[in-house]
Amino acid sequence: MAIKAFTDEWANQLKDEVNKSDVYKTAAKGWKWTVGLVVEAEPDKNFPEARGLVMDLFDGAARDIKLGSAVDAQKCDFVITAPYSRWKQVAKLELDATKGMLQGKLKLKGDLPTIVRYTKASQELTVCTTRFATEWPDEQ
Amino acid sequence: MVEYASKEPSAFAEMLGGLIGANVTARPEKKRDFDTLVARVGIWVTDIDEGVTLAFDAGKLTVYNGLEPDRTITIRAEAETVMSLSNLKIGLFGMPVYYDKVGRGVAAKLVQGKLKIDGMLQNIATLNRVTRIFSVQ
Repeated sequence: MAIKAFTDEWANQLKDEVNKSDVYKTAAKGWKWTVGLVVEAEPDKNFPEARGLVMDLFDGAARDIKLGSAVDAQKCDFVITAPYSRWKQVAKLELDATKGMLQGKLKLKGDLPTIVRYTKASQELTVCTTRFATEWPDEQ
Repeated sequence: MVEYASKEPSAFAEMLGGLIGANVTARPEKKRDFDTLVARVGIWVTDIDEGVTLAFDAGKLTVYNGLEPDRTITIRAEAETVMSLSNLKIGLFGMPVYYDKVGRGVAAKLVQGKLKIDGMLQNIATLNRVTRIFSVQ
């Protein structure tokens, strides 16, 4: 059954998928920072309010991934911000997160050398969002 | 230390400028390379059709949107390969390591023609120095 995007249940499912991933476990070894994803509102896409995904990632595992406000996500060590439809493209693998950042489609705040060192981990994190069915608000 | 030629630098320009600035600030060995490097390095990312020119001038870097003339070296590759270049480890005598997984991947792209470096043979020392400054490892 599909899970509604950017909800508590979706965040929990993502956490499970990340913790099942051996690729992530290896690629993110040594990572010890929080990551916030800010999903900006797009009312015309049936996504009326911004949301934040707060990811407590530590040494190859997801200790916690929870839904919060955009402000909660902005308090993380690394913050990636994009409108809802961009995140949807990323989660459907229509937009590579690295390319998105190079093109400014995803805006990154945080220490650049660190995030570049963990490019593979961030790619696998994206792939984890595709391992379960998602119900997208604009497709309802 | 890092300046942008355009009032509106591209996201790619800001990312590379930010990356090099952070590297040089945090690592004295990279700062030494940065302070002596004089070269104009073009980087073109083939799968997003965007590029920059990094004009190093002995302790100062100007980042241009797009490819500017008179480049010493020009690197052309897909985004993933460009990111791999910044993940090359630096080994003995400050040489990039091409025998680990990342290094072998980069070398393979070079052999396959998926990574093209114009001016490489004439400027191998400059390329190694740029790689050291660019690498986050």
